[in-house]
This record gives sequence, C-alpha cells and structure tokens, in this order.
Amino acid sequence: MIAVGPPDARYPARLRALEHPPDPLWIDGDTAALAARAVAIVGTRRMTTYGERVARELAGACASEGVVVVSGLAQGIDSAAHRGALDGGGRTVAVLGEGIVLFLATVRGRRRPLVPRIRANGALVSQYAPSFCAQPWMFARRNATIAALAEAVVVVEAGEESGALITAEAARHLRRPLFAVPGPLGSAASVGTNALIASGAARALLGAQAVLAVLGVEGPAGVAPPTDPILEALSAGALDADALRRRVRMTEGELAQRLLRLTLAGLVTKTPDGRYCGVREADTPSR
Amino acid sequence: MSAALAPHLVARSVARVAACALWGLESAMVTVEADVANGLPSFTVVGMPDAAVSEARERVRAAIRNSGFEFPLRRVVVNLAPAERRKEGTGFDLAIALGVLRATGQLTRDAEALCLAELALDGTLRPVRGVMARVRRAMLGGVATVFVARENAAEAAALGAEAYGFGSLREVVEHAEGRARQAPSAAPAPAPRPSHPVDLLDIAGHETPKRALEIAAAGGHSLLLVGPPGTGKTLLARAIASLLPAFDPDDAIIASAVHSVAGLIDPERPLLGARPFRAPHHTASHLALVGGGSPPRPGEVSLAHGGALFLDELAEFSPAVLETLREPLEEGAVTISRAGNAATYPARFTLVAAMNPCPCGHAGDPAEQCTCLPDAVDRYHARLSGPLLDRIDLRVHVPRIAYEELREDGRERSSVVRERVVAARERMRARFAGTGRRCNAELTVAEVRRHCRLASEAETLAAEAVRGRRLSARGFHRVLRVARTVADLAAADDIRTTDLAFALLLRAQA
Repeated sequence: MIAVGPPDARYPARLRALEHPPDPLWIDGDTAALAARAVAIVGTRRMTTYGERVARELAGACASEGVVVVSGLAQGIDSAAHRGALDGGGRTVAVLGEGIVLFLATVRGRRRPLVPRIRANGALVSQYAPSFCAQPWMFARRNATIAALAEAVVVVEAGEESGALITAEAARHLRRPLFAVPGPLGSAASVGTNALIASGAARALLGAQAVLAVLGVEGPAGVAPPTDPILEALSAGALDADALRRRVRMTEGELAQRLLRLTLAGLVTKTPDGRYCGVREADTPSR
Repeated sequence: MSAALAPHLVARSVARVAACALWGLESAMVTVEADVANGLPSFTVVGMPDAAVSEARERVRAAIRNSGFEFPLRRVVVNLAPAERRKEGTGFDLAIALGVLRATGQLTRDAEALCLAELALDGTLRPVRGVMARVRRAMLGGVATVFVARENAAEAAALGAEAYGFGSLREVVEHAEGRARQAPSAAPAPAPRPSHPVDLLDIAGHETPKRALEIAAAGGHSLLLVGPPGTGKTLLARAIASLLPAFDPDDAIIASAVHSVAGLIDPERPLLGARPFRAPHHTASHLALVGGGSPPRPGEVSLAHGGALFLDELAEFSPAVLETLREPLEEGAVTISRAGNAATYPARFTLVAAMNPCPCGHAGDPAEQCTCLPDAVDRYHARLSGPLLDRIDLRVHVPRIAYEELREDGRERSSVVRERVVAARERMRARFAGTGRRCNAELTVAEVRRHCRLASEAETLAAEAVRGRRLSARGFHRVLRVARTVADLAAADDIRTTDLAFALLLRAQA
C-alpha cells in the first residue's frame, strides 16, 4: 500500500478537479488503473434483481472495452458493478469510505471474495488513513471522490435518500456526464434515479454504448434481447415456476425440460427462495 | 412378629409375575420374582431398578396394607429378571405387589398375565405410559392376557390382547383367584374417518407448490416452501395431512405405540386414525424435537412417525436444533444414548418446512418492498446448513397470488389428489414387499439402482446434470428417488425425461 499526494506523478489527475483533493490518497493495487479511462457505476445497497443485472451487464460491457469501473464496494449495486467488471475480464477500482486495513479486517459476506480479485485487477483506494474507522460523514466525501475519479457517472438504482444521489450531485458539480438507469414506477429502488431523469439532471441510460460514446470508445453492437421465450420472461427479474409458466404458455413437462436445459447451460439459476432467475452470461461480452 | 401371620401365609416358594420393561420402543419381558424369607423386616428391589422403580417399595407397601392385605414383616426381596438392564418407570408396581401377595400366600393362584400398572397408596390402579409397545411384546412372547389399570384397558385391547382393566389391587386379586371375574375389555371402536381442516380446494393458485406437496406426500420427500408472509405457506403445509394415504394397520400400531410412550393417547380411541401431523414451534429445543430426557421420551420427529413434521419459520429454529434433524432424516430413526441406557424411536416422517425469503419477508414480493441488505439475506439463508439443505429434496417458491388466479374453477380436491397418491403408493408397495419401508424416499442405494431405470433420453440428461451441476452422489440419488415418485404418480414404469427434469428443478440446492 502506498500513500500519494497531489504533486506525485502517480496521483490520479482527475482528482485534482475536486475543491479539496484527498491528500494523501491511499492506494492498494495497480496505480495505472487510476489513470485509465474510467466510468463510475454506483447505486443503492438495497437493490432489486433488475438493478443487479443492469449493474453487472453495464460494468461487464465497459470493462471488456478496457474502461475501468469505479465504485464504492458497498453491498448491492456497487458490489454488482465490481463483480460485473471482473467477470467481464476488465479492471475495477473500489473507493472505500474507511481505512483500507480496517476494511480488510472487517469485511464479510459476498464482498469478501471480491477483495483479492479487485487488488489483482485494479485497486482499492481510500482517502482515509489505513486504520481509520468508518463514520457516516466519511461516505459522503468518498462519494465525491468516486465522481471525480471517473469521466462519467452512472446511477443504476437509488432510493429517495440514497447515498448514490450524493455521487450524482458531485458529478454535476464536477461537470461529469451523469446517467441514470430508468426503473419501474413504484419501485422504491428507482425513485431517486427516475427523479434524476425527470429533473433533467441525468440522462436516461438506454445501453452501455451511451456511456462508452461519451468517453469516445467504440462500443460493441447492442445487446440483442434474448430470443428464448423463457429468458425473455426472466429478463425483468426472478419468477416463480407458476408465473413463468403463465408467461410462456407451456405445459408443465415442456417448461421443466427447457428450463432445466437453460439451467444446465448456466443461463438460469434457482434463487435461494426457490424462484428462477436469468443469468445471461452468453450476452455479456467477454474477451 | 411372624407368629402373627396365619399358618397358610408362612413362607412358600418364590413367586413369579410377568411384567415388561421399555427402552424407547424396544421392550423386553421381565419376570418379577418375589421372595419372602425369615430375617429382619426389610423390602429390597434388585435387578437394576431406577429411582421410580425403587420408590415402588413405598407404594406397594402402602397399597397392600390399604387394600386389606398384610405386608409381611419379614425379609422381602424382589428381583426384576433379567437383572442386567436398567428398568424404568412405575409400570412394575402391580407386578411387585402381586408377587409379594403370592409369595406370602395371600394370593392363592398365579396371576397368569402381563401386569402393568402403577399403584396409588390406597391400592387404586393408575395408568402408565407405553402400554401398547409392552402388550405387543408380550403377545409376541405368547402372553395374551393383560392386567392393566382401567384407563389403559382400551389401549391393551386395541392390539387384540385379552385385556382386563381394574380399578384397584383388591379387584385384581379377586379376579385372579376367580372370586369376582371381570369381563375382558372390548376392542375399542375404530378411529373415525379423519377429517382434515384444510383441503386443497381451499387454496387458490399455487400449482407448482401443490404439485410438490403431492410428490412429497406420495414419496415421503422433504419439502421446503419459501415465500413472503401471508401467501399461504402454512395452509399448504397443513393440506399435506389431507393427501396422505390411510394408515396400514401395522404402521398405525407403531405410531400409536410412540404416542402411548409419550402419554399422548386418547384412552378411548388409542389407535391413531389419521397419520400424525406435528407442528412444533420454532423455539423448540433439540430435546423436544428429537427426544431425550431421562428416561428418554420421544421427540416431535418420532411423534410424526408415519406422518408429516411441519417446521414453520424454519430459519428461526436454532441452527444447532436443526442439525439434530440430520440423523432422523437419513436413518428414519433416532437413538438417544444416555450414560445408563439408550432408547431408539422410529422417525420416518415427511418433512414440510416453510420460511420467509429474507428477514423482512418481502424479497421478491410484488406487493411490498424488501428492506433487507444483500448480506443480511445471505446470512438468513446461511442459517440452514449445506448438509441440511442437501437433505431437502423439494424447494418451491410460494408467491403472492395474482388476482386472476383467485377464481374457483380448475382447483382439485384433496380427495382426487389423494387417489393419485394412493395409486403411487401401491406401486411402491410392490417394490418394498418384505421390507419395513413404505415410500420412495426410503429407497436404499442398491434399490435406487434397481428401480430407478431411466428412459434412454433421460439417461443423457442425467449425465449432463451430474456433470453440469456438480451434484454429489447422494444428491443425485435423492433426485432419482424424487423422479421415481414423479413417474409413479404418472404410472410410468421407467423414469422419463420430464420426470427427471421436474425432480432436478425442484431440488433444493440451486
């Protein structure tokens, strides 16, 4: 781990745009990832399956074009973005809201296995001293750092008072292009993003190309919607067997066989609550 | 003081009375030997009595005196033979008292019957637990006459024994001596046709959960229902009682015997008419669930023997308690070992469990937003260990019902589904002829190989599934057992592709 100050050559140049650039910035990992083309993908911790899929696919598409995905390694959308970038074979930078050493010592659950992968394919960074304990105000400043580190910011899902809206506000302040992913009306996880779009603060994100175009990167051809009726029915989120059968209008035996084939092909998985959920690995561009 | 005794009461040969000891459902005939000899007055019970049996001395002494007999002021020794295993409970009181009376000549004929009752100090006979298992043992050993307390008479008569129910010690003596013979108890009326509080007809929609319920009822496979609160998980689970086939007479006796040991039997109708449905609360301890205590009592898993065990709010059970379910789910029996003794109870039950999808209960619920963080949801599911989930064959989501499904038509009655279950069980019965097992969940590995033949395309699918889903050998065998049941329900000889696909999709582990 190294600590670099603004005069240092390894200091990420984009951070100097901040009124008070972090001094020093603690970096654990590849400093080159901080200088590369980057997009921030952030969102609420209380995500839906839709949000998770969008974050993962978007991050995967950016990462496979060589764009670094910056996020905050919180639960929910942030983690999904990091995972999507890593699965897409790209690099990702996690900006922590607490000291790096303290975070490494306390992280549990789904984020724990992400940490070594991020260090190997990108970096963990923090503006706080390594053993600095998290305080609520620290995350707001961290969010501004995320916005500054990236050339464009995407908010995938955000509730009414989500911290991701702070990142959006910082992006506007820094004049970074801001995108929000439109979500279903009535979904609490999309109230904030839909409001950003409605107020004109953010552009509605309709696909990965829009972000990549802002960065001047030639994106892949648009992701074709799935042709399999089962995958199409599952694209909006997980469904139970009966709902799925009503949607695709198949007999029980036919659905069972086709669903099983998709499961064996890794395109559908069963959630812990017994529903079925599309994985869409085949649609995620990979190198 | 012996001079006070009448001449015919002077010492005679050792008296013997038949009794029966019980460890769990395992029983053994016990001969109660009584010897009255000259010496300092004393009353000793030997032959590994536990505390309750030792205390019998005080009850027997008082009961004999208060029944108008005389307790010998001599050296009385009672032996419970065979003497090598510990005897428990109060069921030996009557046999000890009759032995003493016989040895002192106050009873002039041998009581040629199994004697099972506790004595009150005034000589009244009190009922004991576990009469059914002991009467069964006696009948196998050729003793068909039973003396019990009046409250236990129906229980003993239910097995076809010549059972006499008495109110007091004096009645027993007078009957044995032929002075006032009593009539044997009539066999109790058969249990009425069970009525089920929940019928499938009452439940809207939920086709896949209902199908899973049917498979679980037919094959005895374990089922986990996951869904938001208020979507009918409990109602569905309770409906399984209406799908289970009627009890075989032999199975009913064993299940009733377990209830008898637990003291949970209706004295008027001792044989269970319906298969048990047990629903312990999630605060249950492992003693309550698998049994235990001293002497070891049957737990909920054994009380559910032959029927269904419903664990609502599965994730709220203590993880340590849930782990104790692994043995009964695998073995179909529970052995409770204590320092001095071990008891084995049968525990072949169909496990039906229900849980919420997350701590707040609303993950995946279209009507309500889930407020749980992803890690909290993971932790919630992690409360169920891998080995336990591996033993759950069917995991289905119980969704909130859409309005269009609330219509009445097209719903099946439980009785219709039960007919399919019974037909499938008939096919299984042929398979299990000669073994004590009843349904596909109990197929041994060798039997899986023999009976779970796959149609040719299903074979390819199976190979793919094992490779692609990293199924363990045990997991694959469990899938085959479920597929066998799906095929049995469709009256198919070989397992077809759709049967196997359905079984794989319903499997608990993703």
